[in-house]
Amino acid sequence: MNGLDTQDLAPRRMRNAVRCPRRLFAVLAALYFSVVGLLGQALTLPNRPDSLKFAVIGDNGTGDTPQYEVGRRMAAVQRSFRFDQVIMLGDNIYGSQKPQDFVRKFEEPYRPLLEGGVRFYASLGNHDTPAELVYKPFNMGGQRYYTYARANVRFFVLDSTAVDSKQQMWLENALKDSRDDWKICYFHHPLYSNAGRHGSDVELRVLLEPLFVKYGVNVVFSGHDHVYERLKPQKGISYFVSGAAGQLRRGNMKRSDTTAAAFDQDQSFMLVEVDGADMAFQAISRSGTTVDSGVLHRGPRP
Amino acid sequence: MNRAWRFAIEHLLAVPVGVVVALVWANAAAESYFTLSLALSFAVNNVGMALFFALVTQEVIEEMVPGGALHTWRRAMLPIVAAIGGTIGAIGVYHGYLLMGDEPVLTSGWPVVCAIDGGVSYFLVRALLGRHRATPFLLFLVIVSDGIGLVTIGLHQAVAGLHVAAGAAAILAGLGASLALARSRRTTLWPHVLISGTLLWWGFWWSGLHPALALVPIVPFLPRAPRDLNLLTDEGPHNSAVHLEHALRIPVQLVLFLFALVNAGVLVRGYGTGTWAVLAGTMIGRPFGILAAVGLSVQLGLRLPSQVGWRELSVVALITSIGLTFGLFFATAVFPVGPVLTELKMGALLTIAGALVATAAAWLLGAGRFARGAGLN
Repeated sequence: MNGLDTQDLAPRRMRNAVRCPRRLFAVLAALYFSVVGLLGQALTLPNRPDSLKFAVIGDNGTGDTPQYEVGRRMAAVQRSFRFDQVIMLGDNIYGSQKPQDFVRKFEEPYRPLLEGGVRFYASLGNHDTPAELVYKPFNMGGQRYYTYARANVRFFVLDSTAVDSKQQMWLENALKDSRDDWKICYFHHPLYSNAGRHGSDVELRVLLEPLFVKYGVNVVFSGHDHVYERLKPQKGISYFVSGAAGQLRRGNMKRSDTTAAAFDQDQSFMLVEVDGADMAFQAISRSGTTVDSGVLHRGPRP
Repeated sequence: MNRAWRFAIEHLLAVPVGVVVALVWANAAAESYFTLSLALSFAVNNVGMALFFALVTQEVIEEMVPGGALHTWRRAMLPIVAAIGGTIGAIGVYHGYLLMGDEPVLTSGWPVVCAIDGGVSYFLVRALLGRHRATPFLLFLVIVSDGIGLVTIGLHQAVAGLHVAAGAAAILAGLGASLALARSRRTTLWPHVLISGTLLWWGFWWSGLHPALALVPIVPFLPRAPRDLNLLTDEGPHNSAVHLEHALRIPVQLVLFLFALVNAGVLVRGYGTGTWAVLAGTMIGRPFGILAAVGLSVQLGLRLPSQVGWRELSVVALITSIGLTFGLFFATAVFPVGPVLTELKMGALLTIAGALVATAAAWLLGAGRFARGAGLN
């Protein structure tokens, strides 16, 4: 099946709905979003058997209902689109970071994925603590910044909260040494963003972009702004902001001529599929609507 | 020196002008601003600022010798207690504010709230209170508070030190060279700065200590003559040909301008939890900490300086909320480039609002130039 499985809680809600008008309204709203979800649920990704498939979430760790609903949507999608990796763009755990918080704000919302063997690879945001470095399910290996390879893709995970000279040197060496077809960087603070609250971090851009350009980074994912945005390629690099997997800043997008697509009306996450020289992507809302999709083509490496 | 230069130096305009240029530039053409500021930041923050801290150290030493405004420990006791109280208050409120928020990464930013801009504070206390006994009290308070911050960032950097043995050797060599130069009774200071200073700079750098403090240990060995209290201006009766202040006056103004230009450019939406935590710590925590510490000390038997009452003390306490240059410096020393640094820098910049609060307080309390019958100059 090449479509998204939309499992909703409508039947259970329906049983309780007749008890009060507020619940009835909630059920009607859920039904509306379900219909919208069904209409927009088509998986646009090729879903080839041997491709690298992963999901993208950012600013997720609230422990609130929307995060759980996004988690359920991801689990539902995963039944048909068998991604085995999730990259986390920071702000993984908001607020208190006691052991029970890691359960409530991470393990419970993504339990079906974790039990299905999906591995999460986290980057740190401004709300995260060093305790996350050694939290095993985040697979950070005790490092603020690290790299790993899957198939023909190498991921570079940065700590954008504090880019010291040591991290810059590490990044330059890691990028230089990489012979992988695809180079994907992800970190919390966006170099390009048209959201109203934070927007582009130009100082970080001046620091990092020359390295990305010099060493042929293809794609950069960031969060921090609680919206979804795809930027038009900047100096040959595709930038995505996906910081609404738990938090949401509704109506915060200030589209500009660098915006290729954007969505700020609901929580969202991304699916990505890398197959040879193509990288297909799909951004999906909490309700299951496809809010953006497309394919990036990688040119030959020099 | 032409009149414009003299006016700029006497009114400490290098920092405010640098701040304004940086803010306008960063928000109008961010990419070109950050390209320049990142290219210059190492040279300005780590090399140029060494001259500034040498000058500040020179001022402190001269005020502590007989005839200086800070001479005798008895006079110093109360400002020391006030500085400690203010620092505890600032750090306490900073951390208290962070507890209400949710960004633990900011916890290590507390040295920023130890900062008081000595130059601006001095200028403001003179403007509000005139030639008043509260001035040396304020200066001592500033020195102790900034001293706590400097020691903190020194230790913070030292943890990251990689070549401690080589660094220690270079520091010892630098101190030895300075001692030898002092014994040779040379009357020019440049051999001290160029030979000893270079050795110490590398020693600090290799040891992981902040290299901007590299000239501080050799200041006591520099040739000097007695002078009056005139922070960052040159009106004393000393032999100006050999005096550090005379030699560094213009270079330090240039350094301060560049320091403000390089560090003060933050985007207007770069504010965040760190900004408000710095403001709360410096503008609420420090004044209350100072007044509480002084109140307690008076209860325990210490005396307020003569002609300094609670009204003047309140104005002084509010003046110390201005972190500006030192706040920016401490922030850049504690955090590398990134959004957290931007938040803290914006907080340090906004502490300039302390000048308005202090002025309003002086007016409301009728202190200094606002005293009944005093008349404004």
